[in-house]
Amino acid sequence: MAELHREARSGFGLVAIMARKDLAAGAIGAALGLEAPTRPGIAWADDGIALIGTGQGTWLAYAEAPPPFWAEALRERLDGLASVSDQSDGYAITRLWGEGARTVLQRGAAIDFHPQAFGPGSAATMVIAHIGAIVWQRDARPTFEIATFRSYSDSFRHWLDQVAAAL
Amino acid sequence: MSRLANGGLIDRAKPLRFRFDGRDYGGFAGDTLASALVANGVRLVGRSFKYHRPRGILTAASEEPNALVTLREGARAEPNTRATTVPLFDGLVASSQNRWPSLSLDLMAVNQLAGPLFAAGFYYKTFMWPAAFWEKLYEPLIRRAAGLGKLSMLPDPDTYDREHGFCDLLVIGGGPAGLAAALTAGRAGARVILADEDATSGGRLLAERHEVDDLAGHDWAARAMAELASLPNVRLLPRTTVFGAYDGREYACVERVCDHLAEPPPGQPRQRLWKIVARHAVLATGAIERPVVFGGNDRPGVMMASAVSTYLNRFAAAPGERAVVFTATDSGWATARDLVRSGVAVAAVVDSRPAGEAARRIARTMAVEALFGAVVTQAHGRSLRAVSVRTATGETRRFSCDLLAMAGGWNPAIGIGSNLGARPVWSEAIHGFVLDATPPDLAPAGAARGVFALGEALADGARVAAAALSELGRAATVPAFTASEDPAGSAPLWHVPGKAKAFVDFQHDVTDSDVELAACEGFVSIEHLKRYTTLGMATDQGKTSQLNGHALLAAATGRTIAEAGTVLSRPPFLPVSIGVLAGHHRGKDFRPVRKTSAHGWSQARGATFTDAGQWKRAQWFALPGENDWRQTIDREVNATRNGVGICDVSTLGKIDVQGPDAGALLDRLYINTFSTLAVGKARYGVMLREDGFVMDDGTTTRFAEDRFFVTTTTVNAAKVMQHIDYARQVLWPELDVQATSVTEQWATYAVAGPRSRALLERLLPDIDLSDAAFPYMAARELVWNDRSARLFRLSFSGDLAYEIAVPASQGEALVQALFALGADLGATPYGTEALGVMRIEKGHPAGNELNGTTTATDLGMGRMMSARKDYIGRIMAKRPGLTDPDRPALVGLRPIDGTSRIRGGAHLLPEGAPPVAAHDEGYVTSAAHSPTLGTPIALGLLRRGRERHGERIVVHDPVRGADVLAQVCDAVFVDPEGVRVRG
Repeated sequence: MAELHREARSGFGLVAIMARKDLAAGAIGAALGLEAPTRPGIAWADDGIALIGTGQGTWLAYAEAPPPFWAEALRERLDGLASVSDQSDGYAITRLWGEGARTVLQRGAAIDFHPQAFGPGSAATMVIAHIGAIVWQRDARPTFEIATFRSYSDSFRHWLDQVAAAL
Repeated sequence: MSRLANGGLIDRAKPLRFRFDGRDYGGFAGDTLASALVANGVRLVGRSFKYHRPRGILTAASEEPNALVTLREGARAEPNTRATTVPLFDGLVASSQNRWPSLSLDLMAVNQLAGPLFAAGFYYKTFMWPAAFWEKLYEPLIRRAAGLGKLSMLPDPDTYDREHGFCDLLVIGGGPAGLAAALTAGRAGARVILADEDATSGGRLLAERHEVDDLAGHDWAARAMAELASLPNVRLLPRTTVFGAYDGREYACVERVCDHLAEPPPGQPRQRLWKIVARHAVLATGAIERPVVFGGNDRPGVMMASAVSTYLNRFAAAPGERAVVFTATDSGWATARDLVRSGVAVAAVVDSRPAGEAARRIARTMAVEALFGAVVTQAHGRSLRAVSVRTATGETRRFSCDLLAMAGGWNPAIGIGSNLGARPVWSEAIHGFVLDATPPDLAPAGAARGVFALGEALADGARVAAAALSELGRAATVPAFTASEDPAGSAPLWHVPGKAKAFVDFQHDVTDSDVELAACEGFVSIEHLKRYTTLGMATDQGKTSQLNGHALLAAATGRTIAEAGTVLSRPPFLPVSIGVLAGHHRGKDFRPVRKTSAHGWSQARGATFTDAGQWKRAQWFALPGENDWRQTIDREVNATRNGVGICDVSTLGKIDVQGPDAGALLDRLYINTFSTLAVGKARYGVMLREDGFVMDDGTTTRFAEDRFFVTTTTVNAAKVMQHIDYARQVLWPELDVQATSVTEQWATYAVAGPRSRALLERLLPDIDLSDAAFPYMAARELVWNDRSARLFRLSFSGDLAYEIAVPASQGEALVQALFALGADLGATPYGTEALGVMRIEKGHPAGNELNGTTTATDLGMGRMMSARKDYIGRIMAKRPGLTDPDRPALVGLRPIDGTSRIRGGAHLLPEGAPPVAAHDEGYVTSAAHSPTLGTPIALGLLRRGRERHGERIVVHDPVRGADVLAQVCDAVFVDPEGVRVRG
C-alpha cells in the first residue's frame, strides 16, 4: 500500500484577483511584490504568500495564515489594478503528500501528473469526481494541495476515502 | 482426467477446487476455468442461443462464443462470462446458462425442430402478424427467450474506480509484437504503457512451442516482462483490456483488478476503468483464428486448432483422446505436432490445400495419415464421435475421433483500429481484412497487421515502435530477435457445403443457409446482412464469424469479398460491465452533493432536506408531535408572519461584478437599470435570454462605485455566471468589468417577520436599524465575529425582513447566535416549503413561473423594461408572439368554496366548456394552502389574465382529482399594498 498523508487545511486565505482590462500581469505582481504567473502555476513570495494562475489575467492569492482582513487589504493594494473577491471561505483545501498522492490525483483528474508534466510550482484547474478543483504542487515529496468548493467537502472526502482505501 | 502428466505453465504445487453446475472439480493455479474444465474432461458447457444446441469450448481466448457461463453466485453472479478468460481461483463457482431443466437435458432444444421458424429475419417475419398478438404474445415470448444468462437483480456489492494514463506509446497487447514494441520504446526511455488482457504476457508464446533468442518462448516473454518491469518509464497493466479508441488519442481500458480473486480485498475495486491518452499507440492485438463452416461444426469436441495447442502447451490439458486436424493453414500442422507430442492420437490431418513437399515431410516424421486437397464434410454425434471427410478424389471416408482441431486461417484483430471510422481493406496476400487508414497515430504491428510468422512479427513490433518514437523526435535502437521457424502459409476455405446445419455465428446461431437466404431475399449489403440475420451482433461481436459470413454473402451474390466489404467495429471491443463505467458514481454518489455551512445545524434541528440542483436544502423542520408536513409548514409560516423566522438562503447564486464598467454591463444584462443604483442600495432585477423570454431574477446590491453584488436563483446560478462571462468576454470585451462567483464564500440567512428587527438589533447592537437609517432595500458591509459581513433589507416573504451574510465558515456560528438571541422572540427556522408558501401568498414568481416560456410582461413586470437603454433580449421581446395580448398572464386563483385544493399543473377552462385542448386557457403554476388566509391559493398563467380578475374559471385536473371552480384574482394575496415590508 502506497504511503499517503492527507490533511484538511484551515485558517488559510484565498482571494480571487482579476486584472482590470488590458492590465499586464507584471503590474499585479509588482503591487504584491512577486512575479505573477502568466500560465497555470503557483509562484511564492518570501512572506509565504503565493499567486496561483487560474486563467487569463486571473489569480488566486493564497496565504496559509493571513492577517485579519487580508482580502480587504489586498483590495486596497490593488485599487484600480484589479477586482478582488474574498474566497477564503468559498474553498476547502486538502493537502496530500506521500508516494501515493500522485496516484490518487491520477485516479481523479484527467490531466497528467507525471513529474515531467506537473512538478513543484505547477497548478491547474480540473474536475475530480464531477467536482471542480484547483490543484497545485508545493514540493517534490510530492505535496499537492487541492482546492474544491466548500459545499462539496463531504462528497469530495467520500471520493478521497474510497480512492485512498484502494491504494 | 485429461490433464497431461507433464508440462504446461500451471503450478502443480497449487491445487485449486472449483464447482461447475453443482459438481466439484480440481485445477491448478495458472488454469482458466475453461482449461480446468478441459482438464476434467468436461465437454458440454452451454446451450446455444436460438436452437439450444449443446455447445463445447471453441477457443482459448476472449473471442469465445460458446463457453459463456454465470460466474459466482448471489449478488456477485455475473452472467455471460467467457470461461476462457476466467482465471481459476480456489472456491470458484460457475454454472451453465440457457438450459432448462439441466445442461444435458435441455427441453428448449425442441426449438431445433422448429428450425424454419428461426431462420434469418425471424424477428420480422414470424412476429409480424397478427399485429394484436405483438404486445400480448410475441414480445413477452421474445423477451423470455432472449439473452443467455440472467442478472441476479441484487445490488452489486463491489466497487469500481478509474485512473487516467498518459504515455508516449501505448502498446495494446502483450504478445510477441507487443513485447518487442514495448522493449524498443522502453529501452529508448519513452513513457510506455503496456496493456495486456492476459495475466501473464507472451500471447502465442505461452501457447506454442517456439523459441526466441534461444529461449523457450514463454521464458523469453518472462524475461522481457522482467526487463520492462525494471524500467521506471514503463507501466505494465496486466489483466487490462483496451476496449475502444476515441477522439484525442484517447483509449479506454478495463483493468480487472480483483476478478482473479474470490472477492476483492477490503477497499480494493473489482475493476478499474482506464482512460489513456497516448501520443502514439501500437495495436499488437494479434489475430483470431477463424472456424470452417461445415455441417455440425458446432458440436462439442470441434475446437479451434490454436485453442487445442493452447490447452496442450500452456495448460497441459488434452481436449480429446483421438483427434482429426482439419486445416487450411500451416499453423494447423503445428497443432498436429503438438497433439502427437502430447500423446494424443491423431487419426488424420485433413488439409484442404494441395500437397506440398514440406507438409508431406512433416506428416511422414509424425507418422500421421495426411489427406491433401480434402475437406471435413460433417461432424457426427451429439458430442463429437466421428467426422466424414471428402478426399481429393471425391470419395468419402469416416474417421472416429472425439476432437476435431480446425484451422481456417487467421483474421488480424483490428477492431479497435476501425473504432473511429477507418474501414478495413481486403488483403489478397493474407486472405483477411487489414487496416489501411487508422485512428491518428495508431499503428498495427505483427499479426494484427497480417505479419503472422513469429520472427517477422517480433521485428515488426520493434520497427513500428521505433517509427512512432522517431515521429516524437526520439531515437530508438531497433533490437534484433531470432525466432524458431514458423511457416505461416494459408489458403482460403470459406465453406464446405452440406446438408447438416453449418454454423457461421456460433453465439447467435446463424448458419450458412441463413446467409444464403438473406442474400436471396435481397439483403445483399454487409450492413443489411448483419442486421437481418444478427450475424456478429452477439456479445462476441462476430470475432470468429464475421469474415466467414461476409465470404458466404460475397459468394451468394457473385462478388469478391473485397467488393462485398466488411463492417466497422464499435467500442467496446469486448463486453464491459456497466459498473466499471459508472465507477464511484452510483447510488448516493451518483452525483456530488452540495451542503450549506448550516447543514449540520439543520440536521440536528430535525430538518427534512430536499434537492435543489446539487444542493441539499432544508425543506421543513418538523417538531415532535407534528404528524403532517402541512402542520409543520403552517406553523413555520405563522411563526414568521407573526414573529420571526430564519431561513438558510445560502444556495442562491452570488456573483461579484466589479470594475469601472460594472454598472454598464448590468444595464445590458437586466431589463431595468443598475448604473443609477446608489451605493448601499439593493434593487430587484430581471434578465432575459437573447430570445426575449425571462432567464432569471434576483437582487443586485451596490457596495461601491465599481463593486456590485448580484444574486441569482439557486438552480440558475451557473447558467447566469456563464451568461455574464459570455457577455463580458465575447459580446463586449471593450468593457472593463470582471466577474467572480462568490456563491460559496457567503452563508446567507433570511431573517423575516415583524420581530426580525428586534432580533438583529440584539445581534448587531452597534448598528442603527431604524427605518430612517436602514430602510427597505438598504444594504451595508459590517463586521461580525471579526470578519466581514453584509446586511441587506430584502424580503421574499413580504414581511419586514433582512438577509445577513457572513463568510461561510461563520455560518453555523451565526445561525446559533441568531437562535440563542431569538429564543424569547420565538425565532423559528423555516424551510423551502414555508418559503414557497409565503412567496405564493405574495405572488412572487419563482422557478415554476420562470420556466423559460414566460415574458416579463406575462409575469406582470413589463413596466420594468427600460425604454431608455438596450439590453439582452430587448428586440426579441418585441416579437408579435411575445407581445400578443392573448398571451397567458400571471394571476391568482382561489377556490370558490374556500376549501377545495387546487393542484399545480391543472388546466384552466372556461366554465361550461367541454374539457378539450381547444378550450385550454392556461394552467396552474404554483399552489399552496395559505395559513395566513386559511384557504388554498394558487398562481397560474391564464390567457388575458390581467383583464379577468373576478371571473370564475374551472381548474381541470383529470389525472388527480375532480374539477375545482375558482375565482381569478390578483397574484398578490397578502398585503397587496406592501405595508409590511416597510416595517
